Amino acid sequence: MASVGQSLPHDSATGHVTGAARYIDDLPRLDRELYVDFAGSPVAAGRIRSIDLTAARAVPGVVCLLTYDHLGGPNHFGPIIPDEAFLAEEEVVYVGQPIVVIAAETPAAALRARQLIVVDIEERKPVLSIDDALAAKSFIGPERRMMTPGAESDADFEAAFRSAPHTLAGRFVSGGQEQFYFETQAALSIPGEGGDVRVISSTQNTTETQAVVAEALGLGMHQVVCECQRMGGGFGGKETQSAIPAVMTALVVKQTGRPARLVLRRGDDMRITGKRHPYQTDYRVAFAADGRLIAAQMAYYSNGGAFADLSTSVMERTMLHADNAYHVPMLRVTGQVCRTNLPPNTAFRGFGGPQGVAVIESLLEDIAQVVGRDPFDVRRLNLYRDGDPARSVTHYGQIVRDHVLDETFDRLAASSNYRHRVNAVTEFNTTSITHVRGIALTAIKFGISFTTKFLNQANALVNVYTDGTVQVSTGGTEMGQGLYTKIQQLVADEFGLPPSRVRMMATSTEKSNNTSPTAASAGTDLNGAAALVACGQIIERMRDYAAGLFASTERGLVAAPEHVVIDDGAVWDDRDPSHRIEFGEFCAMARRERVDLGARGFYATPGVDYNRETGCGNPFFYYTTGAAIAEVTIDRFTGELTFDRADVLMDIGRSINPGVDRGQVIGGFIQGVGWVTNEELRYNDAGHLLSTGPTTYKIPNVTDLPRVLNVDFIDNPKHQKNVRQSKAVGEPPLMLGICAWMAAKNALQSLAGDKRVELAIPATGEELLTRMTALVGQAVPDAVGTSQISGRR
Amino acid sequence: MRNSLVFYVNGDRHEVRGEAAGRTLSDYLRGGCGSPTAERLVGTKIACAEGDCGACTVLVGKTAPSGDRLDYQTIDACIAFIYQLDRRHVVTVEGLQEDSRLAPAQQAMVDCHGSQCGFCTPGFVMALQGLVEESDDRGPLADETLRLGLSGNLCRCTGYSQILDAGKRLDPARVDSVAKQYDPAPMLADFAALGDGPVRVNPRDTHQLNGHATAAPPVEVFLPSTLPELVEFRADNPDAKLVSGATDVGVQFNHGKLAPVAVISTTGVAELQHLEVVDEELVIGAAVPWSRVEAFAKHELPAYHAILTRFGSPQVRHAGTLVGNLANASPIADSIPFHYVAGSTLELASVGGRRDVPIEDFYLGYKQLDLRPDEVIIAVRTPLPAENVQLRLYKVSKRRDMDISTVTTAFWLELEGDLCAGARLAAGGVGPTVVRLPRAEEALIGRPLTLEAMRVAGRIAREEITPISDVRGGADYRLQLVENLFAKCWHEVRGNGILTGSSG
Ligand SMILES: Cc1cc2nc3c(=O)[nH]c(=O)nc-3n(C[C@H](O)[C@H](O)[C@H](O)COP(=O)(O)OP(=O)(O)OC[C@H]3O[C@@H](n4cnc5c(N)ncnc54)[C@H](O)[C@@H]3O)c2cc1C
Ligand code: FES
Ligand code: FES
Repeated sequence: MASVGQSLPHDSATGHVTGAARYIDDLPRLDRELYVDFAGSPVAAGRIRSIDLTAARAVPGVVCLLTYDHLGGPNHFGPIIPDEAFLAEEEVVYVGQPIVVIAAETPAAALRARQLIVVDIEERKPVLSIDDALAAKSFIGPERRMMTPGAESDADFEAAFRSAPHTLAGRFVSGGQEQFYFETQAALSIPGEGGDVRVISSTQNTTETQAVVAEALGLGMHQVVCECQRMGGGFGGKETQSAIPAVMTALVVKQTGRPARLVLRRGDDMRITGKRHPYQTDYRVAFAADGRLIAAQMAYYSNGGAFADLSTSVMERTMLHADNAYHVPMLRVTGQVCRTNLPPNTAFRGFGGPQGVAVIESLLEDIAQVVGRDPFDVRRLNLYRDGDPARSVTHYGQIVRDHVLDETFDRLAASSNYRHRVNAVTEFNTTSITHVRGIALTAIKFGISFTTKFLNQANALVNVYTDGTVQVSTGGTEMGQGLYTKIQQLVADEFGLPPSRVRMMATSTEKSNNTSPTAASAGTDLNGAAALVACGQIIERMRDYAAGLFASTERGLVAAPEHVVIDDGAVWDDRDPSHRIEFGEFCAMARRERVDLGARGFYATPGVDYNRETGCGNPFFYYTTGAAIAEVTIDRFTGELTFDRADVLMDIGRSINPGVDRGQVIGGFIQGVGWVTNEELRYNDAGHLLSTGPTTYKIPNVTDLPRVLNVDFIDNPKHQKNVRQSKAVGEPPLMLGICAWMAAKNALQSLAGDKRVELAIPATGEELLTRMTALVGQAVPDAVGTSQISGRR
Repeated sequence: MRNSLVFYVNGDRHEVRGEAAGRTLSDYLRGGCGSPTAERLVGTKIACAEGDCGACTVLVGKTAPSGDRLDYQTIDACIAFIYQLDRRHVVTVEGLQEDSRLAPAQQAMVDCHGSQCGFCTPGFVMALQGLVEESDDRGPLADETLRLGLSGNLCRCTGYSQILDAGKRLDPARVDSVAKQYDPAPMLADFAALGDGPVRVNPRDTHQLNGHATAAPPVEVFLPSTLPELVEFRADNPDAKLVSGATDVGVQFNHGKLAPVAVISTTGVAELQHLEVVDEELVIGAAVPWSRVEAFAKHELPAYHAILTRFGSPQVRHAGTLVGNLANASPIADSIPFHYVAGSTLELASVGGRRDVPIEDFYLGYKQLDLRPDEVIIAVRTPLPAENVQLRLYKVSKRRDMDISTVTTAFWLELEGDLCAGARLAAGGVGPTVVRLPRAEEALIGRPLTLEAMRVAGRIAREEITPISDVRGGADYRLQLVENLFAKCWHEVRGNGILTGSSG
């Protein structure tokens, strides 16, 4: 039976539930292994006057203390712009920025040394917010622009605004978000022969880790192996910043010749690693009396932190998602990354998409209010229309095709009983004086592919053994998303084997070189496709060999590879099905006949081509789409929000593993809900993060799940692309979490009458109560009927 | 006097003294249980080391009151100390499997896609098993039971839905208690043989004599078994840290804010286990864990119960105590406002005798207590509200569950018809200690309890407090909350605005 399409458990599920699955901190201690720690900057900005290591060096058990001058290579890193000092030299630019790497025999000694390191710093006033950065003109990279062909002329664009029946303008604010992977950043580095280093890293990016370690140590990439069996979560946070413990431990290996391990404490991890970018967007929009969009302009500013990291790329994706699922006839977007004194912000599931999507979704809600229509209808009216040339081209020139957005909206409205519930919510709000309810739909159209073209490649190694079992390794890393399981299924089906005979091996630069990060939701698309290419090569050789085996003059069968069937754990010729050779036996025979049963597959996504300079082209192979409806209840006295119900409907193509994909959808959705509700990063005026652990940083709890949560998938026969016609699913559902925020906004709108509701992301209880109080003077009316609010309805 | 700690891990006997006695349980397990050759039990994960994620959840069995079995409950191993585990049985995720067959909770998680990255998974498996252990009727686990029961475990990957599915698939009637897997009889016999007497581990004098002085000496541990022993240890060791459930102490220890040279663990003191109503007063002994109070309050004090279901997490409530909460003296401790308005009395004891302190006199300033170094709190006495008292307690926190409050308030309103004959109000999170709101009370007493009266009182209360802005919320928000809670209270007293479920 084909395993693709089956809900097989995660390939490590048994290891997960028994505790046998190993993460970096669980790996056995090695002989003479050292504990690594670090001392970071106590301030957000300043100049180092001196570093005094005397007292730290005297701590018994301390083996070495390393500063930037111990690096073997240049101290300039960065995946896009090499502006990042790995260990601070003269300037410190964010709180906690590593200055000294410590290695010791015990964690206690390392910690003691850390406390005794004295760094004398001439403090400067830090640039912390986007506004600070704008005032100081502190930027990373140039401002980027993108606009609809036809919106280039200022005169036409302004004319569109002048002649439009309605316009709105304002500023939209969204906060950052901590990835909060459960396993913190971690690495174990082991010395090899001749100065080589093996780095076992919790990373989404084995190749980058290899490259950065090689550079930092002044080694060739051929002297460094990076390996990752699994991560305890990544969410983008381990795309570049997993390099921190990798380089620190590798540096200790180089210095001492001893194995070294670093598992960041939660507080350190939260303090020093980058997060989702806070954004500020200045927008204006022009629209018709029916709510149809005419023109829009968005100026996005992101808080990039102190170094470039992936910020420019993140901004690009924001700009490419300014439209979301809606056709904007004239759209102009600009994007500017701001340089501030926060840790370098980085990838987080959605990669800039959420910050773009939230703005236009919020605008559509406002537009509906202005024109007096149901927001659902206004959104549906503005959807990209498949096959309609006038309504299917994005502002960057790609055609949005083969989608089922209309159908998704209609089915969701029906299955969620939307119209009826809108009435019920209105009814509730006219009678309740203690609570207010809201209901809203938001959509997603998420572009799949790396917008940096060259990253859309992958390679895989498939080895078939003489007992008919198979090992597969690819450049894709496993962080819980089920990549290994899906590839296992794909490969098992190629050879007609039960998945138990296919084993996924740890991702390693030794097996897959020059790989892309496991990111952009494209892990299975790229690595699965590469694995299939490898399988195809082996199968072709097997067929050729088998054709000769089954050829028989007696039975009148000429050698015909096209008649060879490899399935059900056996090999046969379909003209003579009774003569079957068990797959393992066949493999052993093939080897004896010197048939190569291993192959490396390479895949490059066809057709993606995007010009960053002009802002035009086809950055995406296809889009994953969906929509969700949320209903929430807000306590008018406290701002506390209860998530009553969510209905999620997505087009994820033909699912390779519906159980895994369902998990991705719900997990992503709830992560998005966290971003827009309670996940709040608070800093003090000096740039110190205050929310440095789960005690103060509140990711969703099980009790925050909507009471009713319906998740379903919609068929899309038009989608014929991609590996087994599946679609990427990792990131898109996160942006559907915005519906919870929109429902809160909708609730506030029912209190606001004709006023516009301003609401920031995240809509914490504090944000909601503050906005409600501002809207209605005192948050709560005295009694039904006598209040200013119900009076206005 | 016994000078070692004895406990079991997955059925194996451990006898411990020295440095290991002062370690956290998770460190001990993950570090190879103090032995270089033992398996490192790394299935117990650490994701926060502050009790706030549940990745380190394990089951701990302690002798039931009947003495003939072990009752198992979940705790967070990262904030539990080895010295708290004397005569207990710890079961970790590695110990759940029998003959390499997955336990039902494990199988259900596999079948329902309950794990993604897998890092939180052992904790969830243990929490599910814990719910089975605690289920009285062994019926299927209801949605609400599961949600509240798993609220001490966070997961960043799954969005929980498939974990709930796993919980629903579990049929407690067909799941064996760990007591079936690990015969309690020999452990109980061992515990009985060890006796109920006090334990003292790592006495400081011998260590100094042995010349251990160079390295920091291991923590000295006192486990008194009776009140006289407790107060005597306390008097002799004023530098020792009293430890009850360690849910505050453990966090402070992990954050490097506390490194006691000696500890006195009160858990085994028989006289501190009382939980009963005596003369219209609820008496809660110092060693009674929150989970017992919670169960008790369900019928006796529903308003208090409602707050307790949101106090910490199930794991925290299995360990933590009221007295620990009061002595830790956080201005946002959830229990304090209630005990202020109820007029509770703290019973203190020392070798010199006992004294009672009204709770409001107990707090002298931020984390400043009327508690002498030789004294311990032994119990809290709380008058129960009469029929005509409307008791309303509010906890406002960013996240509903497993969160520290931003603001807490307590309303104790004595009604005579429409008249407010008495009012006692308290608020927390609005200053260095929990405070009463005397002027707001005054504004209510002797007047009809109208919404307008409550609004006026709310505005007055606003003037009586001086909250600060911190990580949990701004000062303005706190002021607004306190004001608004007066109106909310009025509506609830009148039966308005108590929602059940959604419109969907
Ligand atoms: C994840 C998590 C969530 C939490 N959530 C909440 C919450 O929602 N609301 C809340 O209010 N608190 C919360 N807390 C804090 C803590 O759980 C409570 O304060 C708890 O009641 C403390 O009790 P304990 O027995 O664990 O105290 P311990 O940690 O053992 O001790 C606390 C203090 O009390 C002292 N002490 C203990 N016993 C005595 C005694 N007999 N006499 C004198 N002093 C004594 C100790 O020396 C120590 O200073 C949370 C903690 C954690 C880790
Ligand atoms: S590790 Fe998070 S609760 Fe123990
Ligand atoms: S499965 Fe990753 S944190 Fe729960």
